[in-house]
Amino acid sequence: MRYLGHNKKPIVDRVKPRSDSEKIDGMTVLPVKREIAHEVISISYGFLTPLEGFMNHDEVAGVTSDMELPDGTLWSIPIVFDMSAEEIEQRNLSEGDSVLMSYQGAPMATFDIDEIYRYDNAEMAEKTYGTKDPKHPGVRRTLAYADRFVSGKVTLINEPIFNEPFARYWRTPRQHLDAFAQKHWTSVVAHQTRNVPHTGHEALMKQAWFAANEDKPVDEIQTGILVNAIIGEKRIGDYIDESILLSQDMLREAGYFRDNIHMVTFTLWDMRYAGPREALLHAILRTNLGCTHHMFGRDHAGVGNFYKPYDAQSLLKQYREKLLIKPVFLKENWYCPECGEVTNAALCNHDRASQNFSGTLLRSILDDGVQPTRKVMRPEVFRSVMESSEKYGMGSSFVTEKYLKGRQPIFTLQKMEVLKA
Amino acid sequence: MSEKEGKITINVWINEERLEFLKKVGLASMAKEKFAGMMLLEIACTEKQKDSLLQEFPSAKYDSSTTHSIELLPRTVKDRIFEASLKLHSTGPEVIDSVLGSTIRSNL
Repeated sequence: MRYLGHNKKPIVDRVKPRSDSEKIDGMTVLPVKREIAHEVISISYGFLTPLEGFMNHDEVAGVTSDMELPDGTLWSIPIVFDMSAEEIEQRNLSEGDSVLMSYQGAPMATFDIDEIYRYDNAEMAEKTYGTKDPKHPGVRRTLAYADRFVSGKVTLINEPIFNEPFARYWRTPRQHLDAFAQKHWTSVVAHQTRNVPHTGHEALMKQAWFAANEDKPVDEIQTGILVNAIIGEKRIGDYIDESILLSQDMLREAGYFRDNIHMVTFTLWDMRYAGPREALLHAILRTNLGCTHHMFGRDHAGVGNFYKPYDAQSLLKQYREKLLIKPVFLKENWYCPECGEVTNAALCNHDRASQNFSGTLLRSILDDGVQPTRKVMRPEVFRSVMESSEKYGMGSSFVTEKYLKGRQPIFTLQKMEVLKA
Repeated sequence: MSEKEGKITINVWINEERLEFLKKVGLASMAKEKFAGMMLLEIACTEKQKDSLLQEFPSAKYDSSTTHSIELLPRTVKDRIFEASLKLHSTGPEVIDSVLGSTIRSNL
């Protein structure tokens, strides 16, 4: 099989088997934070193809100003490794060095430093997010970057061992493509999510399936839905990761989707809430997973009132020719008491009677542990959310301080001693 | 009770199962349809009761700007409020008195 990703580039594979890693002895060890560790994994397996490492100055400038990598490939969000000048000096790092990145006390990847540079964080933030407002979480993240950036290729030498329930949903981009081939899917529509599914989400996926199936005959199913959850930085009040994965999969387990059209996986990525630019990044990510279509609804990847409801759809339309994935544009679903069903705002003319799915309302219902009506949430999904809140969320379906401090790690890395042996 | 006090509520979600219980005690008409068959029962709360609840349950918050309701009460407390409402056939402040009384007793 040919593993091709964004802009028809071969899916990046920068993972070296452990037997090749003896050369790490004596290398300078560079401990990295969670954000960087997750991106090292995503880069190495090819989720961010064609990137092979962290961006240099010119790449960041091209991406922020023109949404282009130096070879003209579309790219919308800078992928950078920030480090303070003090730490660089302390560790005696120079351009041309190869260092060993470590995470949670274990070796993780080699990093070939090709440039150490400064960048105007405020400019990077404003160009990427279209605002300087530090209330925007992406702007806040960018403004908090250290005063230097380090670029270069990474090579994962210690593959993460995912803990349950993550292990059963983890697939590399190549494994996604293999799985799609095994299922005889020739079209796959991606559903981006950070939520447990209510009936509105389920209906959106079903509507998108028909759009993605296009003119293919339906006697033998060739179109699938990939629910690809974003697993990364959590904020208080977000759904816990375990609930998201297990409840999304419950839609298939309980028969609301056929086994042969539905699959749940995840990508390690910290949401930047960059709205339209993040929508482009999601399109690129899912191209690298082998998806042919991608759902984009109202307020995709936005936050607060920083973007208009359909800004993401407009930008995707503008860059349609540079994407291999076809966007499926959707309006929101609502519950209509007149229609007596969950329906789409593009179709239903009972605007005044319509009842919107509100995240706040749903949160309040789940917080109370009251089983929602079938019109709101499938009973099996509700039970799954409640079970995972007990098992993984310390009694809450939502992220709490307690969860952040005590949650089980998503993955573990083999320790140095084991690796050397 | 002053008009101001009367505006503070604790919202208890009512699904089909809970609605059946409410019907049995003649309180079904007090539940207001909110979203796709989900209903809310508004339990009245005095200013003093609000302060006691917030002191007893530090995770709880009073939304003074929009809903004027006490949110994020522990699930078990919301369950007890619903049960007390059924037992007393009421949505008035005596429901919260009953729950606060039992909470204080259980903490003694």
